[in-house]
Amino acid sequence: MTSLRTDRRDVAAGARAMVPWLAGLVPFGLVIGVSAAQADIPALAGWLTGPLIYAGSSQVATIGMLDARAAPMVVVASALIINIRLIFYSATMARYWRDMPWWWRLVAAYLMVDPSCAVGLNGYRRLSRRRAHAHYLGGAVLLWVSWLAAIGVGATVGAGWPAWLHLEFVMPLYLVGQTVPKLAQPAQRRAIVAAAATALLALSAPLQLGTALAIAVGVAAGLTVRPDEPAPSPHPLQRTAEVRR
Amino acid sequence: MSTWIVIVAAGLGSYLFRLSMIILTGRITVPPSLERASGLVVPAAFAALAAAGVAAACSGLAITQSAAPLVAVAAAVIAVLRTGSSQAAILVGMPVLWVTTALLPS
Repeated sequence: MTSLRTDRRDVAAGARAMVPWLAGLVPFGLVIGVSAAQADIPALAGWLTGPLIYAGSSQVATIGMLDARAAPMVVVASALIINIRLIFYSATMARYWRDMPWWWRLVAAYLMVDPSCAVGLNGYRRLSRRRAHAHYLGGAVLLWVSWLAAIGVGATVGAGWPAWLHLEFVMPLYLVGQTVPKLAQPAQRRAIVAAAATALLALSAPLQLGTALAIAVGVAAGLTVRPDEPAPSPHPLQRTAEVRR
Repeated sequence: MSTWIVIVAAGLGSYLFRLSMIILTGRITVPPSLERASGLVVPAAFAALAAAGVAAACSGLAITQSAAPLVAVAAAVIAVLRTGSSQAAILVGMPVLWVTTALLPS
């Protein structure tokens, strides 16, 4: 473990590999911070979604559904459904970490999210196992610090701005921007259209169940596209990397 | 109070997902259909949240201005398609929203 702490070169290389990801992720963190400031929840609670949930899309859903006063169980279930991809990342990283002490695996798992896995896997494919651990932590810690800072800045500057700016509309526009490029892929296109239509039809659903229902309908619709049609890459991590580039 | 509980519960559940296969490694395998479904969850969630957010924005304005968010979204979609950049949605959509709400009678 001493070698991990002292191998600053690999930690720095991992941090440098994370920098290109930050160009796309810091604006996302800022938008989440702004939406948290605009939402009808305590500012600290909105920021805490960062260190506690630590997955942007799930944080967006949690803040949005809390703001819409959805039932607590519905919010938690929706956040966890969105984060189910973390199980696959966990399976991917577990094979590299099985020889590490438990305390290390607990910390590394906490830092596990789409970009940290992508940067980490690149290191595990190129470097010795010991050096790749330092590479992973370098990228993952930089991402964590940058993410929480971006949310904090967004929450700070997003509060108290004049109403005519309609900053509450920043998040829907951000989601539109993220969704439009995915329309090119058949399964995702069907999922997006079905989910959006269901969300609109279910606007007056009790307990604000509309979003959770729309996610379920969207996924079911996407699964009706045969896998042999021109389809997204087989692993969610690869797909996320493509989208964010 | 429930706001804090929800965030802690979602965070705890997310951490358990992160730990799941590290704890269970070698004992279970994830079915391919679930892996495929997981790749569709985020696009579906983003589309649902976007649609609900736009609808909420329309209903939050005076009836004469309720078309402004739709115009902004249309401009954002065109901007993303033309530039290939997701960031264009906000950079184009927000100014269009401000101009449209200023021009439409309140």
